[in-house]
Amino acid sequence: MKFIGIVGSNADQSTNRTLLNYMQRHFSQAATIEICEIKDLPAFNEPDSKIAPREIQAIIDQIQAADGVIISTPEYDHSIPAALKSLIEWLSYTSEAFNNCPIMITGASHGTLGSSRAQNHLRQILDAPEVGARVLPSSEFLLGGSLRAFDDAGNLVDAAKIHELERDFTEYMTFAQDVNQLIAHSSQLHDKQAVWTEE
Amino acid sequence: MKLIGIVGTNAEKSYNRQLLTFMQRHFADQAEIEILEIKDVPMFNESADQNLPIIQTFDQKIIDADGVIISTPEHNHSIPSALKSTLEWLSNDVHSFEGKPVMIVGASYHDQGSSRAQLHLRQILDAPGIDAIVMPGNEFLLGHAQQAFDEHGDLNNEGTVSFLASCFKKFLRFTNMVKMLNVPEDLKVNPGTYDVTAMGHNGKLPMSVEFSEDKIENIEIDTSAETAGIADVVFEKIPAQILSGQTLNVDTVSGASVTSKGVIDGVAEAVKLAGGDPDVLKNRPRPSAKRQVPPVEYETDVVVIGAGGAGLTAAASVLQRGQRVIVAEKFPSVGGNTVRTGGPMNAADPTWQNEFSANPGERTTLQGILNTDEATIDPAYVADFRLLKTQITKYLETTDDDNEYLFDSTLFHRIQTYLGGKRVDLAGHEIHGQYDLVKILTDHALESVKWLESIGVEFDQTEVSMPVGAKWRRGHKPLKNQGYAYVSALKTFVEQRDGQILTETPAKKLIIEDGEVRGIIAQGPDDQKVIIHASAVILASGGFGANTKMVQQYNTYWQQIDDDIQTSNSPAITGDGIKLGTSAGADLVGMGFSQMMPVSDPETGELFTGLQVPPANFVMVNQQGKRFVNEYEGRDVLSKAAIANGSLFYLIADDKIKETAYNTSQEKIDQQVEDGTLYRANTLAELAQQIHVDPAVLTTTIAHYNSYVDAGTDPEFGKNVFDLKVEQAPFYATPRKPAIHHTMGGLRIDTQAHVLNEQGTVIPHLFAAGEVAGGIHAGNRLGGNSLTDIFTFGRVAGKTAVSENQK
Repeated sequence: MKFIGIVGSNADQSTNRTLLNYMQRHFSQAATIEICEIKDLPAFNEPDSKIAPREIQAIIDQIQAADGVIISTPEYDHSIPAALKSLIEWLSYTSEAFNNCPIMITGASHGTLGSSRAQNHLRQILDAPEVGARVLPSSEFLLGGSLRAFDDAGNLVDAAKIHELERDFTEYMTFAQDVNQLIAHSSQLHDKQAVWTEE
Repeated sequence: MKLIGIVGTNAEKSYNRQLLTFMQRHFADQAEIEILEIKDVPMFNESADQNLPIIQTFDQKIIDADGVIISTPEHNHSIPSALKSTLEWLSNDVHSFEGKPVMIVGASYHDQGSSRAQLHLRQILDAPGIDAIVMPGNEFLLGHAQQAFDEHGDLNNEGTVSFLASCFKKFLRFTNMVKMLNVPEDLKVNPGTYDVTAMGHNGKLPMSVEFSEDKIENIEIDTSAETAGIADVVFEKIPAQILSGQTLNVDTVSGASVTSKGVIDGVAEAVKLAGGDPDVLKNRPRPSAKRQVPPVEYETDVVVIGAGGAGLTAAASVLQRGQRVIVAEKFPSVGGNTVRTGGPMNAADPTWQNEFSANPGERTTLQGILNTDEATIDPAYVADFRLLKTQITKYLETTDDDNEYLFDSTLFHRIQTYLGGKRVDLAGHEIHGQYDLVKILTDHALESVKWLESIGVEFDQTEVSMPVGAKWRRGHKPLKNQGYAYVSALKTFVEQRDGQILTETPAKKLIIEDGEVRGIIAQGPDDQKVIIHASAVILASGGFGANTKMVQQYNTYWQQIDDDIQTSNSPAITGDGIKLGTSAGADLVGMGFSQMMPVSDPETGELFTGLQVPPANFVMVNQQGKRFVNEYEGRDVLSKAAIANGSLFYLIADDKIKETAYNTSQEKIDQQVEDGTLYRANTLAELAQQIHVDPAVLTTTIAHYNSYVDAGTDPEFGKNVFDLKVEQAPFYATPRKPAIHHTMGGLRIDTQAHVLNEQGTVIPHLFAAGEVAGGIHAGNRLGGNSLTDIFTFGRVAGKTAVSENQK
């Protein structure tokens, strides 16, 4: 299977990037994970034309060619970074890329909470009808103390945490397969129209 | 009442903007609402420059306002990224919303009126980095916004208007309530003077703090334990800020954060002793909140970057030649690495040195020079080498064991600098000091000593010193205060002649006009932009020993440089001048060669902890308890051996060897043993257990070493200079690790201290002096030569800059 891993931070140094890179290597037998950076994307500004800028269109194409998306988010002020929010706004405003897209949320933070509040916000955001994503339920991967979580080679150190990630990812692959199959066989779901609720 | 209204979207058309504009008009008699638009705020990035003018403006306006109203639309069940981005900027470097009353309103097309976004916004504003005080309840959700306004932009429903008015009225009352909450709590203590002990960088700092009933009246710190010069600024600045602001919410001084924190904790402890609550003082506002400061421009003849020994010397010599000078220093205090040195500077002064008798072994060293194969000497040095041999032969012929005096000559200094610097890197490339630069260094060394005397440095005439790695006794040592003696004399000299020293003003950029260097742009305190126009710029900012990444990046000499390697350098020494130089096209030379100080503190990189004894009394064991090197070897041999043995090693000493330590006192030793940074035990076996080595191994190692001392020869590693055995309890183990000490590489310069470009031609008006320049010490700098370098080339740079300015 093929997934897109979105680094939820535009910072030069990000342990969420490290986490996705680790997943990419660690699960390379089971799936291909393409890493997607949000670093130099234009900021969403609700333009009159609902045409995606070139950089955003590239990500839309990437997502549409994949079986699902993994988003790894840091936590800024109890929520997701503006840079990540901006990408989601672009996607929902100009496309249906996330509509019915199976999504796994992960997150890493320097502190102990592992971006828990940001992950909850992200779940609610992705669940908005105009986004319409299918987020893997009842599963969360919270990587606290992320500065010490990886060794020099960028591999997770804690065996229990690795096990947890393996379990979550396996569950996500099954979920993605099921969702994609369900969507393919249900014209009703397939045609669901996403609506951008403006202010 | 003055309020700020933030339009929560960057969209061209927004009902939230309309709502705020309505509120602005409708409530004009109750409050002045200024509306801030966020459409020009770029996407937040924590890795980018945090000093954006627009963020500074927002920060200032919010700080000055009594409260903030945020009107948010809802995008995907949350607030727009543009609003989130603005909040991120305002909660990273600055904390504009701290304690600020906030009212949330919102408008949307449909029924919800941005209800979910408003809940998210509440949670976001509650995050510790933002720490706003959001008015609870009073949710103003304006649904179907496209129908809510009339043609004048007024809300057309009376019920809605009166609900908004009631929310707004509550917000005004809420704002006043929060204001009361923000009034600093009174301190209540039992008046008197309380003695506490703060922990400084070098150990304990006894302090006494005097209180009246509700105020800190005075703070006195006994600073005798701290190295003179380094932390002085902490002892002035931190207590002054605490006293003037009556707050413990003060910023630490960069480069001395441990000591800064020690002082703050000490005062907090005293508040507790006095029966008060230190949190009251910690919760008070900082003494001076960051304010936007307009740029300042200076006009001078010469600007010097860095106020260490080289920079101050250059500045002094500019002033002596009648021109104006400004010194821009990154750190709050002057002195750079120079205040950290032990103080001896090399200069051959035979008239003085000849008055002293020769030491055992020195004759052998001279004999060794005579025996050196001329074919191994670089052609540039051969003529000098031959002359030196004549000098030495004459000395050896005219002296014998009974009437030996200490020999030296400028040529000997030059040849030793050359031989000491000759090294081969990992790729097999040989490097040695550039002849013309080494000639300037050694020819003018004594003149530098005399010059320093003329500006007020007093040297100890009774002893010729030999610092570690110097190879010969030719060190002139200040009478007191080690390296600080130079810095204090130079600083006084510069200031008395109206030279300006701007501290906390790192240079950021060279001003280059038509290929000529014409000054610098620096960043002053409070991020003030400082523009200094000058006819010449002298880079004297030191090497890059405190920039581990840069050392690793250029390294071609060491097998391995750990990420967590320490440095004996000031944290200011990060290669800034080298980067400035290359920005003007400067060429670099010998960047791969750095020098390690093998016997440094594993935690701090400092030299003056533990027991530092003369090398004759060094007994080094590795983490297995075995010796691994001839302890009398030079610094790079010791460092290489230590690195090959896992870096961490121990200096073993007994009670007698302890007496030969030159850096410490019984009190400091007891303290370090208590702190666990020095080990002490009554038997070697116990000592071994403390440092986690096999007792049998350590005992055997020491027994062997003692037998070598008796025999005067060491069949294992070839140590041949011994003093004491390790036999008298208690025994000590000082943990040591190599630390980065000096970087020999740097900007390519000529004999007049001009910086050269890659074509070897002079970059007009740009000079460099001291560790920022390369080419002199090559692969290894002799101990005692760095001071000679900075005082000699510092003067050369000042002199050339002035004479070219006068043309």
